Amino acid sequence: MIAIEGLRKVYGSDVAVDEVSMIIEAGTITVIVGASGSGKSTLMRMINRLVEPTSGRVWIDGKDTAELPVHELRRRIGYAIQNHGLFPHRTVAQNVATVPTLLGWDRNRIAARVEALLRLFQLDPSTFARRYPHELSGGQQQRVGVARALAAEPKLLLMDEPFGALDPLIRAKAQDDLKAIQRQLSTTILLVTHDMEEAIRLGDRIAVMDNGKLLQYAPPAEILVHPATPFVGELIGVGDRPFRLLSLETAAQEVEPGEAEGAVVAADADLRDVLAELLWSRRAAAPVAGRDGRVIGRVTLARLIERAGTPT
Amino acid sequence: MAASFARTARLASLSLDKLGVVVVALLAIGTASPFAVFRANRIVAGDAKFFFAALPAPAAALFALVVFAAAGVALLRTSASARLATAVVLGVAVAMLIGVAADHLTPAGDRYARIAPAAGFWVLAFADSILFADSVVRLKFGPVRRVLALALGLAAFALALSSGVWSELSILKEYASRADVFWREAGAHLVLAVGSLAAAVAVGLPLGILIVRKRGLRAPALNTLNAIQTIPSIALFGILIGPLGWISVHVPGAAALGIHGIGAAPAFLALFLYSLLPMAANTVVGLEGVPRDVVDAARGMGMSGFQRLFSVELPLALPVILTGVRIVLVQNIGLATIAALIGGGGFGVFVFGGLGQTAPDLILLGALPTVLLAFAAAIVLDATVEFVSGAPP
Repeated sequence: MIAIEGLRKVYGSDVAVDEVSMIIEAGTITVIVGASGSGKSTLMRMINRLVEPTSGRVWIDGKDTAELPVHELRRRIGYAIQNHGLFPHRTVAQNVATVPTLLGWDRNRIAARVEALLRLFQLDPSTFARRYPHELSGGQQQRVGVARALAAEPKLLLMDEPFGALDPLIRAKAQDDLKAIQRQLSTTILLVTHDMEEAIRLGDRIAVMDNGKLLQYAPPAEILVHPATPFVGELIGVGDRPFRLLSLETAAQEVEPGEAEGAVVAADADLRDVLAELLWSRRAAAPVAGRDGRVIGRVTLARLIERAGTPT
Repeated sequence: MAASFARTARLASLSLDKLGVVVVALLAIGTASPFAVFRANRIVAGDAKFFFAALPAPAAALFALVVFAAAGVALLRTSASARLATAVVLGVAVAMLIGVAADHLTPAGDRYARIAPAAGFWVLAFADSILFADSVVRLKFGPVRRVLALALGLAAFALALSSGVWSELSILKEYASRADVFWREAGAHLVLAVGSLAAAVAVGLPLGILIVRKRGLRAPALNTLNAIQTIPSIALFGILIGPLGWISVHVPGAAALGIHGIGAAPAFLALFLYSLLPMAANTVVGLEGVPRDVVDAARGMGMSGFQRLFSVELPLALPVILTGVRIVLVQNIGLATIAALIGGGGFGVFVFGGLGQTAPDLILLGALPTVLLAFAAAIVLDATVEFVSGAPP
């Protein structure tokens, strides 16, 4: 668990981060959203002390980070950034091994860890371990960047716009992969982005920042339904609101008994995709099938409409 | 249609190489200019000889044939390897034939006559070097092959020197009468050029690192080095006479170390001072060129300042820093010639000696090795830079 308490950063007369307090639960993904200059990156960089706070404290698992030696603190926290920041003069394997090497792990342990991570990120070690970063595609570089950040098995991973440089198709896949890996390792992730779509897709909780202030810190559904300020509402976008809300739930959650005509939808498909399917095929309901392909019920358009908004 | 196709094909095969036109023009000028100069002794005015007069008839015919053939290869669109082979053959032929000319023109038993290469020889050498460099570029020689080519060239040069083909040339006669001094001054030249480089690396590299880290120091430090760079070398020697003379007299042991107001010490110091700017500036540029993301990632993963410097920043800045070393070394090899003005030794001893005696051969004895040394240093260091930045980019 990470506790941020009255965190503040002032550059001259500019307040970059203004009295931010929040609790981040272990094993969750928290996304900080904001425009550029909102202080979101500065807030994140104060956690591994790339930026030293002007005042306030950060506690990780009950320990005040200000009291830890700074290099030791950073080696315990994973760090992945936009454009990956891979070392161009080192191979993929050497890049991934950076923090374990700094920590003085023995050679066999490092080699085993690098291999396991490359496999986890679907990079065949025999092909990729000896390559240099410039020999990889953008998506592969990004995965190596995240693998490197996770190398020393950190409990906390900080990610600054990690998917910012990827094109939309690869980005969606990378986001799904990250979520799956996070569930598998139960790493606590704090991710900074300017993209509300990404925040809703990934975040267990979303922190919205503007002008250095934390405007709202809540689960995505609550942010969508009850934006704390007009600015948060603007960030969500009125037109996209119902669809974003639907995207938070899966067909399995709204399945009801009964039959329906036509093609089945998967139980783990999100409701936005189900809605799109129903609209496209001009159906009022669709059968829902589980992983095994067995139909477990149906999902109706009426139910989706009910879930897509909130009575005012 | 078939006829027009055939004509197009013939035109294509006969189309001219643009650079080849320049080479051929130079070959023509070189052939039409005097090939060698005959002088009755080392300081009188010379008598220019065209190639047909300078060479015995068979050699003159060979000369004409080689130059004509080379012109043909250069002019037409020939393959790069054919051009390289031609450049090598032409180079070897011209180099050998100037020796033959020296033998031919020297009257038997005459110890005072001097035969030197004339304008025609130098223009031909220039044309050949263009053809050679161009074909090397076209063949895209990698760093290793370029250094090997240099080594081969130097070996051939040494072989020609020891074979005696050039022994009747004026420059070698100048050498023969002062061989021991030549090697002493060569040593002095190298110590000045390489020693001041080493000192500049030892000071300039840390200085560059320091001013990248402490931004406030940058403008004052670089401006000071810039100002030093603008002082003419002779003026700098003059400025150094005072303080070094004082140190020599007042600091115990300084005089014994060879520190005096004039001599090698101020020359060394001046070269060192001139070298600081390129070294420090290239270190700064190199370190600043390291991508921000990479530095940020290194910091974020918990590398200490030293770890970041030695395992990330310096390796990535190395090509630019080595470029600085190359600039400094080539610059110092040339500048070290000036040291002779204040008794610092080096090849400048022959250059200024030759100027004083109006003996052009003696000037060449100082100038040619300097050029050769700078040229070799440039090739080796360029190859090193390419090698270092090429391996993992």
